[in-house]
Amino acid sequence: MPAKEMDLPCMECNNAEAAVTTRSRSLCGPCYQRFLNYKVVRRMEKYKGPKDLAKSSVPTARLLLPLSLGASSSVLLHMLDKALARQLAKTSRTSYVLEILVVEPSTISPDQASCDIQFDKAREAFPKHTFNRVPLHSIFEYVPDMTEIMRDYVGPQYIDDDSKSNEERLAAFRDAASSATSKADLDTVLFTRLAVGYAKHTACESILWADSDTSLAAKVLAGAAKGRGASLTWQVSDGMSPWGVMFDFPCRDLSKPELLSYVSVCPELSEIVIPDRPLSDNILTKNLSIDELMLRYVTTQGEKYPGVMANVSRTAHKLHSTSGHGGPLCSLCGGLVENVNGNEDGITVTGQFATENPRFCYGCMRSRPDTVLN
Amino acid sequence: MAPTLCFNCKTERAVIIRPKNRHKLCRECFIKVFETEVHETITNAKLFYPGERIAIGASGGKDSTVLAAVLKTLNERYNYGLELSLLSIDEGIRGYRDDSLETVKRNAVQYDMPLKIVGYGELYGWTMDQVVEQVGKKGNCTYCGVFRRQALDRGAAMLEIQHVVTGHNADDVAETVMMNLLRGDLPRLSRGTSIVTESKASDTKRSKPLKYAYEKEIVLYAHHRRLDYFSTECIYSPEAFRGSARTLIKDLEKIRPSSILDIVKSGEDMAVLVPGNTVPGGKSCKSSAAADDEAGGCGSQNGRSSGGEMAAMEQQLAANDTAESRETEIKMPKKGSDTKKIKTQTLQYCEQCGYISSQRICKACTLLDGLNRNRPKTAIEIGLEDEEGSSTLARQMEHIQLTNS
Amino acid sequence: MSDPANGGAAPIPITVEFTGGLEILFANERNHKISLPGRLDDGSNPNISYLLHYLVDNLMKDQRKELFIMEDNVRPGILVLINDADWELEGEEKYELQAGDNIVFVSTLHGG
Repeated sequence: MPAKEMDLPCMECNNAEAAVTTRSRSLCGPCYQRFLNYKVVRRMEKYKGPKDLAKSSVPTARLLLPLSLGASSSVLLHMLDKALARQLAKTSRTSYVLEILVVEPSTISPDQASCDIQFDKAREAFPKHTFNRVPLHSIFEYVPDMTEIMRDYVGPQYIDDDSKSNEERLAAFRDAASSATSKADLDTVLFTRLAVGYAKHTACESILWADSDTSLAAKVLAGAAKGRGASLTWQVSDGMSPWGVMFDFPCRDLSKPELLSYVSVCPELSEIVIPDRPLSDNILTKNLSIDELMLRYVTTQGEKYPGVMANVSRTAHKLHSTSGHGGPLCSLCGGLVENVNGNEDGITVTGQFATENPRFCYGCMRSRPDTVLN
Repeated sequence: MAPTLCFNCKTERAVIIRPKNRHKLCRECFIKVFETEVHETITNAKLFYPGERIAIGASGGKDSTVLAAVLKTLNERYNYGLELSLLSIDEGIRGYRDDSLETVKRNAVQYDMPLKIVGYGELYGWTMDQVVEQVGKKGNCTYCGVFRRQALDRGAAMLEIQHVVTGHNADDVAETVMMNLLRGDLPRLSRGTSIVTESKASDTKRSKPLKYAYEKEIVLYAHHRRLDYFSTECIYSPEAFRGSARTLIKDLEKIRPSSILDIVKSGEDMAVLVPGNTVPGGKSCKSSAAADDEAGGCGSQNGRSSGGEMAAMEQQLAANDTAESRETEIKMPKKGSDTKKIKTQTLQYCEQCGYISSQRICKACTLLDGLNRNRPKTAIEIGLEDEEGSSTLARQMEHIQLTNS
Repeated sequence: MSDPANGGAAPIPITVEFTGGLEILFANERNHKISLPGRLDDGSNPNISYLLHYLVDNLMKDQRKELFIMEDNVRPGILVLINDADWELEGEEKYELQAGDNIVFVSTLHGG
């Protein structure tokens, strides 16, 4: 029995005032954290190592965690840090180590502030892990053939020469995009390529993406809307990416609001997490990118229909992988250049368009600067 | 502002911008290009054979009117040798179908095609007006959609025609893809993207020759050819579009005009990756249970989604979720939740009416049983002799076959 | 002919047509002849944006404005034709109306 009267006692421990209500449970801060933690740890089981980990000689896995310092990736880091500490206490070793990659936000968008303070705070709070911070244009270092790929992709209008710095080169490429949709689409591709390049550079076997089910649902719908349906099998699903690095999404069972609530009951994260910029209501729909439209759709519909939105990424997760469906891969995004094997030409959408550049996939061709002939 | 000249002929004033490639075309060139592309779809997919008898599912609306006009044109231009006729469904909604059926009747004269109208009343013993009287306005779209699905096949059977073409366009296919991603129904996503659906048991084949045509171009084709079509929103679903996948599609089109075909492309690729699906998504879907469950929504809207559907899905999922969290306690991790399992549907015949179905009793019969059980004794409808509870579809069908022969 | 109230510009007579189901919002009337002021209070000429407001304020009988206008523009899914040409070819909502113009609004949202 609780010692004193409580307005709403935690349904789990009955010992503290409930702080958060989720999935019809009212829980106190620590129990809430444990509840969410369980959903993530369950997804990390494959990295748990053998039962006799202490005596086992299995090598320690190296996993890359891209940290945006937003709510989702910060919570994931917090959870995994705790899980590793528990493992260390129990077996005196850990089954994996985390490599933390922060891509400097001010190099992604000029209207984002630098993350100096939060980066230092995070490093202080989680001293056991290796942190590194790189600018987005370091993609040319970690993906050596990127300059050539970009030249080929944009074509003659992309003027490039050796006098350009990496920063200028990337800016020229990104400026060539003709719409908000294409720009956001290509940015996602670049970010993924950088993370993969960095993972290979640091010998990480997997990348742990911190997407919530909300974010994954938006990615599924946006990917479908951008003609990238075939790539969803690895873009939102646990499994092998086209570059030989595994992709995992341990937060896939948690919604964005749940992750935000976690931050609210977790004082250690209060100085680390950079709040999301609010989804602006005053941008006209036609000026949004498809990614933003879908995130807005999933977020607003998710308030009314959280279950439907949570189900979207689970549905995409059921699709068979495209490996074995053969054919060359897009040199930019890694998707299949041709139709998924079994999807005959001539009577598919691709038959509706003239043959395009054989190095790039349908989705990338839609985002290519010269596709708008206005 | 000097008029923009046509990308094709370079002489006439451009009046349209094509969504798929932004080409600016004049009226003549647009009409020609539109028709040629439908022709290419038909020949590449080998939709028809010479001498084939085709029923065009005709509602009097833009899609089916354009389909009838284009098929007539192409049949003559390329000597398909098809025998075309119009098949219309009368849901029995007073004041709604009257005008559209008048349009279909005019179309029959304009295109010189025979017309058959089949009513819900004669098929099922219930008009939609009567259904609404019984179940109210909420949820009546389900009845309409399920009844409509079978009605076309049954109408075709009466005409002894084995191939029904419908006016489903690229926007409809794109909406099906999005809707089924939201709904979590991959088999249906797969079926919805294929140009031909035929079931192993039923001998009625269905196809959608306008699968790659943007709705925008269909409307413009109708406009520039001055086609006679009728449009109205069903009086029973005035708010049908709010928050629906349709709205999302239209917003997407505004952002990136090509996106409708981009979604269809995604859908075709994903269809191949649906577990248990070995059939190419683009070509022909012989998946079982194609018969009675495709049109979930309003028949008159070509099975378009309505806002209400999301609420129903949420309820279903919430129920599953509660069940799951009951059996999975917080502290008891459960293994093996990650398996890629998917329900496969098997084909069978409805025990009551013999129609192909994924269930023991097909959806139409299930709905009819519910309706008939609750039919107020005082409101016995004209021409309905069956007693309460026994007026199954099989009996209705016997009745029709007798009266029609 | 000059009218000092609107800066001396002659009124602009145009025809407006609603089809594809949109006519329901406008008293089931497909064709409308209207006359717009030749110059607006702020000195500009009436364009499609102005016309949209004008139609909602003066011609629309249905209360559900959002079925026609969204985000201060034509609702996605409604096509606009300026003298039979897609309005995208003419500058969309910024197109300035000329005497004798025929403006068609076609809904693609209604049943087919």
